[in-house]
Amino acid sequence: MSVRPAMEAGLRGATPLANLALLGGLVGVVLASPSLVVRSAALGSVLLLAAWSGVPVGSFLRSLRFVLVFAAVLFIAQALSIREGAPLSGGIIRITDLGVLSGAGMALRFLVILSSSFLFVHVVDPDRLAATLIRCGVSYRYGYLLILSLRFVPFFQRELKVVREAQRVRGLRTSVRSLKGIRRAIRYTFVPVLVSGLMRVDSISLSMKGRCFGLYRRRTAPRPERLRSADGIALGSVALLAALAVLAARGGWT
Amino acid sequence: MSSSSVAGIDIRDLRIEYPDRDRPAIDGLTESIAVGETVVVTGPSGCGKSTLCRAIGGFIPEMIPARVGGEITVGGASAWETDSSRIAQRVGYIQQDPDAQICTLRVEREVAFGPENLCLPLDEVNARVDESLAAVGIDHLRRRETTDLSGGEKQRLAIASILAMRPRILLLDEPTANLDPDGAKTLFDLLVQLRETRGMTLVVVEHRIRPLLGMGPRVLVLDRGRLVHRHPRERLDPRDMGLRTDARESRAAGPTGARLLSIEGLTFGYDAPLFRDLTLDLRRGEILGVIGPNGGGKTTLLRLIAGLAEPDAGRVDGPGGDSVGFVFQHPHHQIFERTVTAELAVDGPERRPGEFDRRLAEGRLSGLGGAPPLSLSLGEQRRLTLLTALRRGPDLLLLDEPFIGQDRRNVDWIVAQIRAQCARGGGVILVSHDVPLVGALAHRILYLGEVPSFGPPTDVFSELRAAGRDAFLPGFWGTDG
Repeated sequence: MSVRPAMEAGLRGATPLANLALLGGLVGVVLASPSLVVRSAALGSVLLLAAWSGVPVGSFLRSLRFVLVFAAVLFIAQALSIREGAPLSGGIIRITDLGVLSGAGMALRFLVILSSSFLFVHVVDPDRLAATLIRCGVSYRYGYLLILSLRFVPFFQRELKVVREAQRVRGLRTSVRSLKGIRRAIRYTFVPVLVSGLMRVDSISLSMKGRCFGLYRRRTAPRPERLRSADGIALGSVALLAALAVLAARGGWT
Repeated sequence: MSSSSVAGIDIRDLRIEYPDRDRPAIDGLTESIAVGETVVVTGPSGCGKSTLCRAIGGFIPEMIPARVGGEITVGGASAWETDSSRIAQRVGYIQQDPDAQICTLRVEREVAFGPENLCLPLDEVNARVDESLAAVGIDHLRRRETTDLSGGEKQRLAIASILAMRPRILLLDEPTANLDPDGAKTLFDLLVQLRETRGMTLVVVEHRIRPLLGMGPRVLVLDRGRLVHRHPRERLDPRDMGLRTDARESRAAGPTGARLLSIEGLTFGYDAPLFRDLTLDLRRGEILGVIGPNGGGKTTLLRLIAGLAEPDAGRVDGPGGDSVGFVFQHPHHQIFERTVTAELAVDGPERRPGEFDRRLAEGRLSGLGGAPPLSLSLGEQRRLTLLTALRRGPDLLLLDEPFIGQDRRNVDWIVAQIRAQCARGGGVILVSHDVPLVGALAHRILYLGEVPSFGPPTDVFSELRAAGRDAFLPGFWGTDG
């Protein structure tokens, strides 16, 4: 039986603004600092914060599968393409220390940016994020655009599964190995899911209009959130990484 | 115009025509609904019930393009000339599928959505959220994610979010279509309570009207956009209105002996077990009815039988592949082609000249062979998906809620196909919330609930009666059990 993390666990208890600052801080640090130590520390922070927030490390890594594969491809491509530096291997495939360091740096940067974004999505309640953005002056229409987009993600996943099962029941095979196959796959999959989506959009539009959405230029904003210890930890993590980046720059760390 | 109708709903010679339709959706309807009155609107699919609700709510033609004539006034304001958001402060509209009208991700945010749009002070918003959640009895769910709620809970949330707007009139469009009998019973009780405590005007579109008769409603029967019967509250009998099929006449001959499907020790679950150690069998010529609460595993059982899911334990021995026909709950999931004829051809070309025409005639779809399937009405789409499932000549026919949103003629047609399938020596597993119909049609019933029960209808209903599950007894919905 799966156990869902408590709503307030770890970063989930922090305000969306603190989480946004954490995301911005992590991305800023890995873009600004060329140091592998700093980038590794940033990646370690993301994993630690994910575990603290009740995001199971296994499922977190599974959701990053594609990112991990792509990071490995980046590393290998860099290591193979850079010829400068001291050679680590001879023969036809020449690998240099500079190539390995450059590849590792690029892969780490990619991993930190993507994994911190995944963590943000895992821990931030879109309703609270939208409310925060609205309080910060963003039009509430855009805030609700975000919420509705996220509301549709599980819906489309569910619909896709049902349509694929319907295809199996009818004995329909879809293949993307030929142009004809791609056209068939689009028609047999995309069209039913799109129809469901459009029906859902119609219903939600009526529902929103039926509750006066858009009647006034402004709408009541929920009460601002209080700061908690989780906010301190999020902002403290950013401060520590920034300090580490400064030290690395001064000390000339790799 | 009486003073009561000024604050209620007045409809005068209403005519609504959608573009590209050959006849008006509403054709010359005149009716007045007084404040505090309960009106049930019923009639066959496509008769204009939902159109009427949407017109009263001010959504036609503002959001749904249509040519309109006549007049609707709600609380004295013309629905044609008033913005639907203004009407929404007097009229709350609850759609058929509660899941399709939830805009936010948390229960209390959903209820606060309307009052926040009205720019009410925050304290007032919070007071309305508390009051509305308490009114529908889901105060304990306020911090839950909306995606985690059951169908019945979502329906209550939809009502709470409308109540928070404090409307005087509530329009409910087939509110029980997606609810299990328990959920439907609870909803009807809630409507009684709202009418008595708040004096609300209720306009309810429903096929299953018997449980509403206790509220003493006026019943309007529409057909092809016209008001064909107006039943005052003192003369109400669903049979007089032609609303129920007499399923007793439809019971198929019965099992012929040979075993078609055998399920032994079946166990399956997601986060928690849906069912454990389930054992049953189905014989040729037999109809097995499956009833039970939402989320009880009825659809999952069909998926396991069709081989679309793997059991955690136990085994399913029965026909597979082309020998199983599976009709899903929503027809559009199973429609893939551009024309009705092409849809039939998905399961193979014509076996003899004129086969498709004959099948379309059987399904009352004559002349629609070249039409895009998704342009058909819900009833026509349902008939098409059943035709395609039957075209493969399956030994086993799996039907998941085939009667939702279907009028009497369609229900009769589906029942006839079920009987024919049994007469051919095939088997049918029928999942449905329509307990009277299942009770009358099925040779054996499986109740998938807290304590599963399997056996002849009389035995299963006796057990459910003893367990106090009145809403799962046919008598509650209109026929004796």
